[in-house]
Amino acid sequence: MASSINSTGNGYNFKVVLLGEGCVGKTSIALRYVENKFNDRHISTLQASFLNKKLTVHGKKVNLAIWDTAGQEKFHALGPIYYRMSNGAIIVYDVTDYDTFQRVINWVTELRKMLGSGICLAIAGNKVDLEKDRRVYTEEAEEFANKTGAMHFHISAKLNENIEEMFFQLTLRMIEHADLMEQKSTLSRTSSIRRNVVVVEDEAEETEPTKSSCCSVLPCMQVTDQVSHKHALITST
Amino acid sequence: MSLHSKLKIEKCLLNTLYLAEIICQHRLTWGMASSCFSNVDEYGFERPQDFDYETYEDFMSEYLKVLTKRAKKWSEIMGEGKSLQRNITIKRYVRKGIPGEHRGLVWLSVSGGEDLKSIEPDLYQKLLQPPHNKQIADVIKTDLPRTFPDNIFFNNTENQQYQLYNILLAFAHQNKTVGYCQGLNYIAGLLLLVTKSEETAFWLLKVLIEKILPDYYTPTMDGLLTDIDVLAELVKMKMPDIYQHVTNIGLPWAVITTKWFVCLFAEVLPIETTLRIWDCLFYEGSKIIFRVALTLIKRNKSNLLACQDFTTLAECFKEITKDSIVLKCHDFMQSIFKVPGSLPGSTIIKLRTKISRQRAEQKENKLGR
Repeated sequence: MASSINSTGNGYNFKVVLLGEGCVGKTSIALRYVENKFNDRHISTLQASFLNKKLTVHGKKVNLAIWDTAGQEKFHALGPIYYRMSNGAIIVYDVTDYDTFQRVINWVTELRKMLGSGICLAIAGNKVDLEKDRRVYTEEAEEFANKTGAMHFHISAKLNENIEEMFFQLTLRMIEHADLMEQKSTLSRTSSIRRNVVVVEDEAEETEPTKSSCCSVLPCMQVTDQVSHKHALITST
Repeated sequence: MSLHSKLKIEKCLLNTLYLAEIICQHRLTWGMASSCFSNVDEYGFERPQDFDYETYEDFMSEYLKVLTKRAKKWSEIMGEGKSLQRNITIKRYVRKGIPGEHRGLVWLSVSGGEDLKSIEPDLYQKLLQPPHNKQIADVIKTDLPRTFPDNIFFNNTENQQYQLYNILLAFAHQNKTVGYCQGLNYIAGLLLLVTKSEETAFWLLKVLIEKILPDYYTPTMDGLLTDIDVLAELVKMKMPDIYQHVTNIGLPWAVITTKWFVCLFAEVLPIETTLRIWDCLFYEGSKIIFRVALTLIKRNKSNLLACQDFTTLAECFKEITKDSIVLKCHDFMQSIFKVPGSLPGSTIIKLRTKISRQRAEQKENKLGR
């Protein structure tokens, strides 16, 4: 499935979900990044849609499955279905609308609660082309991002500003995170999951670097199974 | 409206239909296929650039005959001047399609909207009186330019957007639990295009949300999430291989079908097909949504089973709402009563009860922890 980090060859598969209040520009960001298009005449998104983007980072192939979602608060009930098993999330606000930043705070809090540090977060202030109407203070947004361990970007889907950079940086962080989890999992016997799919928040996790790495296929699958099951329980909480 | 003027309209309509058909046939003989349809359809929707005029022309040349026949039949019942009674004949007529110009009145009548309106005939006008909640008004305004931007009535004139705003605002103020929820914009917009009357559209919207559909639009969307699970359960019963395939690939049913339920196939299926579904929806209720969904899935079973990964499968679920099967609305509507097989209302009720109980238990467990 889209969210597993696939290490066949030297590649990664990441699932990235776009979240944020309605009309902040989630669809436009995805379309700009994947198809380099911008359209002023958008319909409101009600159905999650998926776009794939392939890129090469430091010689490694990365496939991003980007999930665009419905933003209106009413659809919050569907949130867990969208962000489940995500490796990364971009939470978008409109710099000209302070309420949309409040939604970002809610989303980040929820994601951290449900997925812990297992998900890499980027907060994006979109529509910086409308700088003169800015209602969200840069400092406040950046400080919040910093505090919650998220990256922060000022972007414009309309002018194609910083979009590429944001996805690139998020991808770097997801790779870093995946490699770290891979390392951890090859270290301890129980976590012989090849790449972590799920990270249950676990600050106490300290692993001594030892150099044993092997796992037969069978136990590997079993463990993965258990973990994703555990994960399912967690996300439905 | 007098009987005389009604008959006159009918005659006028029939002439137009015949004329359209004759022109089409001529153009076909002259090798001018695909030129007799404008790039805007009769409801004002711009046809996409890749619109398949040839398939559409094939279909229309047949469908015009059906429309003409139905128009004649309906003009006979509507001409009687009595309000419509719900009975087996009308049900059959509804399934075969209500002519465009009668839709508003027939929907209102068979769904009980008329009765609702008679209790409070001036409700709509009252609701439009200020003051209005600013937050609700703002949310609705955000969606106005994002509702049918490819429809000439919504993108060229301020008027329709303003009427849509009124309908949604009035609805939100008399149903505080639902307020405004995305999806209602498409439903109300389409109701407005069909009825050309703000007030009729309002009453139809009210009947749909408050009488016909379960709680799709409330803050927890319980009714929606339940019905999505009900559909999954029905797929499991009727097409276990598809159910297994979708489960194996890990595509959540909510991802595929949310919009089907929330928009009642508006912005999902071709416009005429959507309206034919709504004909039955207003008469027969929400069960019809499951019939449509199951038919879509079953008729595309082999395509769906051929999809080997998540993205392809998700894409395929989108494609099946656009092909020639769904364009041919008359055949499609006949098939929804055959293809999924028997689907008693009691089965739906049982499943809804079972699933909503399970959901409630899950919620309680969470709180208990």
